[in-house]
Amino acid sequence: MTTMRRFASSKALILVVALGLMAAACGGEDTSSEEVSAAQAQAAAAQSDAAAAQSEAAAAQSEAESAQAEAEAAAAALAQAQADLEAAQAAASAAMEGDEASQSALADAQAALEEAEQRAAATAEASEAAVAAAESALAEAEQALDEAMMEQEAAAGPVTVRAAITGDEATLNPYTYISGFPGWNLLMLQYDSLMQLDADGIPQPWLADTVSVNADLTEYSFTMVEGVTWHDGQPLTAHDVDFSVDYYINNVEASRFARDLRGVEDLVVTGDYSATFVLGSPKAGFELAALADIPIIPRHVWEGVEVPSEHDFGATNIGTGPYKLVEYVEGQSYRFEANPDYFRGAPAVAELVVIVYADDAGAQAAIRTGEVDVIFERIPPEQIPLLDAQDPLDIALGPEFTTQMINYDASKRPFDDVAVRQAINLAMDRQDIVDTVFLGAATVGSPGWIHPEHRSFNPSMIPVHDVAAANALLDEAGYLDSDGDGVREFDGQPMSFEIITNAPDSLRLRIAELTVEMLADIGIETSVAAVETGTWEQAVWPEFNVNNGRNYDIAMWGWSAPVQADPLRLPQLVASIPMGGFLNLTGYASAEMDALSAALPVESTEAGRIAILLRMQEIIAEELPFVLLLYPDGAYVYDSSVYSDWEFIAGQGIVSKLSLLPPSARP
Amino acid sequence: MRRRLDVRRLTQYGVVVVVAVTLNFLLPRLMPGNPLVLIAGVDVGLLSPDERAEIVARVGLDAPLWKQYLRYWGDILTGDFGYSFRSSRPIVDMIWDRLPWTLLITGLSLIVSAVAGVILGAISAWRRGTKTDLGMLSGMISIESLPSFWLGMLLISIFAVQWGLLPSSHAVTPASDLVGWAHTWDIVSHAVLPVVTLSILATPGVYMTMRYSMLETLGEDYIRTARAKGAGERRVLFGHVARNTIAPVVTVLALRIGFAFGGTVIVETVFTYPGLGRLVFEAVSGRDYPVMQAAFLVFTAAVLVANLAADLLYPLIDPRTRTS
Repeated sequence: MTTMRRFASSKALILVVALGLMAAACGGEDTSSEEVSAAQAQAAAAQSDAAAAQSEAAAAQSEAESAQAEAEAAAAALAQAQADLEAAQAAASAAMEGDEASQSALADAQAALEEAEQRAAATAEASEAAVAAAESALAEAEQALDEAMMEQEAAAGPVTVRAAITGDEATLNPYTYISGFPGWNLLMLQYDSLMQLDADGIPQPWLADTVSVNADLTEYSFTMVEGVTWHDGQPLTAHDVDFSVDYYINNVEASRFARDLRGVEDLVVTGDYSATFVLGSPKAGFELAALADIPIIPRHVWEGVEVPSEHDFGATNIGTGPYKLVEYVEGQSYRFEANPDYFRGAPAVAELVVIVYADDAGAQAAIRTGEVDVIFERIPPEQIPLLDAQDPLDIALGPEFTTQMINYDASKRPFDDVAVRQAINLAMDRQDIVDTVFLGAATVGSPGWIHPEHRSFNPSMIPVHDVAAANALLDEAGYLDSDGDGVREFDGQPMSFEIITNAPDSLRLRIAELTVEMLADIGIETSVAAVETGTWEQAVWPEFNVNNGRNYDIAMWGWSAPVQADPLRLPQLVASIPMGGFLNLTGYASAEMDALSAALPVESTEAGRIAILLRMQEIIAEELPFVLLLYPDGAYVYDSSVYSDWEFIAGQGIVSKLSLLPPSARP
Repeated sequence: MRRRLDVRRLTQYGVVVVVAVTLNFLLPRLMPGNPLVLIAGVDVGLLSPDERAEIVARVGLDAPLWKQYLRYWGDILTGDFGYSFRSSRPIVDMIWDRLPWTLLITGLSLIVSAVAGVILGAISAWRRGTKTDLGMLSGMISIESLPSFWLGMLLISIFAVQWGLLPSSHAVTPASDLVGWAHTWDIVSHAVLPVVTLSILATPGVYMTMRYSMLETLGEDYIRTARAKGAGERRVLFGHVARNTIAPVVTVLALRIGFAFGGTVIVETVFTYPGLGRLVFEAVSGRDYPVMQAAFLVFTAAVLVANLAADLLYPLIDPRTRTS
């Protein structure tokens, strides 16, 4: 019986432990309300500023009023003077008519007349001056009032904006952020790079004041803005840039920035605010690939950090950016506070809270309930009209450089035959996919890969949908349906393949289903295999290493925006694998393409590079290393009653520091 | 006699633990997919072989499988599971952050579903064959077949989106600085929908067991005897039927405690609730092996402990099993 009791008591113990854990959970996170009161104080200060401006305006108004009064007095004096003058004139004429004894009276009258005239002139002048003074006072008052109103607006504007993302991004320093989007974008709210993309997606000087490159593309020199400080008050200098470059190169592990810096032989610091990158070989587009990508980190903070990805900086990362990360709850939320001393101007939003949701559905429910004010992820096309219809939600739409495409193993039969690839290309009704799957919220794909909104787009690239031509091509090339089952044959086998795609991407799955129908029209039988993402990646891109070959026939695929945003990365996609085709997932190879790929990065003029890119697009459209179907448009939903100044960077979307800076501070 | 039984049972548990730990280790590695993309990001294709090797070595995936396996046992014995591939945080910290939330919602939902299941099951059995019984039975069968994510999303769209009564996600309002009662209320309001979802899903199991077990008891001779003695309905129900019915229900509940952990994976994901279930979901989608191993271990431990508890509780509740 005693054992029973012991069991009973151990049960009680378990209960107590569980209850204790619950209590611990409930008791945690008693953070102070200091920050709230700080924000309130800030708002109050802004309000009092506005009040001061208003009283200034009132003062100016009263000044204007007194000036007006003066002017009125002056006008009255003028009238008096005129009356005097008239009287004097009357007297003078009377005197002329009278006898000579009246001569003295005439003299008197003349004197009076002169005096009156003088007085009149003086008053007129005074009155004019008074009117001018009144006018300027009024203008001043109006301006003061405007300023006050603007300031008040800013103060009444969003103190806090809440944004949803759909996955944790860890501690958001350059070695721990997780995804290229929106992880890098959130990272760059805290840090700055030497250059910054403007709304057209073109790098502009940012921490750098000027950037210049020598004729053979091996030296990129820059001068820096002076007076920029880190979040902890220390000054930023070229030595920090020097340190950052060394650090990224020496700590390769999980950092993409080391790859950006490939080919950098040295950074020569020429002054506290100037330096020169020296490259081992000519490299075009270093601005976009590196200068606008790499966050500059503070030497005094990172100097002693040996394993950057496991180093714990506490909640705060020290950068120069417009926001400071002040709180991170793993898997749940980030809290960013505006840096009022930001060198391009204080951000327009005082606090940014980024909340992690498990999936799209959760984020969309949250913006409907008002729990968040913006979603920092693209929303699916079918949600665009639904969310837009709800007040006060609005949609920011723009071109994005992500892609949806068909990959095939071009290194093996029958896809090694360009006729087969061309037939597949002709069979695809891109407009139909855009309309059916994306409800119009996508841009029809250029067969030459580059987005029509991109500055290196070749305008002669026009997608053609022609089933008859496709069938003719296949007939001509000898792929015939000899047994009459509706499926053509190659090398004695039916042209029957599996299209592999990743199941979680429902849009891609629907594209795959339409592709099956479109390929059936040209006698190619396909079926969709929707598998889990890891399995799909493993088939298309084993171990993420193109040297490991391919384990698929046809696959739906898509690249993230950076691959296309920088057209100088095109060789990675289409150069043959030994010639640097790191992302060449289809095994395509062409001698001319390899030659162009080698020429592109060493071409010194922009015009020359564009010429090469135009030719590469022609070859892609002709030889089809892959079939590009469409570019989904970027659509972001936000609550316009909270904040609506979102800046859509072409190809990149709204998640950037530009969106949160006042318009005057944007490049 | 008892002692020998205990030894046999302990050996059984020992074997189960070894098998479970081995599976926990192997399953993540048998899944297709590669943690490299998680660690290296989208530009993984641009890594040179040296860089790949460096990353793989840093996270210990270069060691032969048996070494990794031994290391896992070492982790278990020392209670130090190393760092997550994904968040670069110590895994033990991550689990301690998440565990209380899972305990909160699974604990509450177990209580709710136990009470509701027992009461409804008793009513149903007591009125067997009536419209009430059939209505409840078919209702419970329908509920049991509901997908949990669907039920969760339905509740979100009604109570959070349409009516705005409750928050749609998370365990507390993020970055809210609430303290005291406001903080407690915040936690309660966030827990309501997940607890209701889990409770609704867990009730039919308890209900079925209760109903079936009670129907069996009602058919026993001693019940007829009790009635024949002239005992009132109430006395028959509570004095004779309920006491003899409760044992199988307790077993079911104890087993549920173990499985409740696993059941939170989907519900916590739907509500973005920061518990262990969501941690597992994130770890699986990112092939975060060490986190998967550690979290699975917690699940395994929960099932084993619940089983053990049921084994030990049984003789307490049902004196008939003590004399075996």
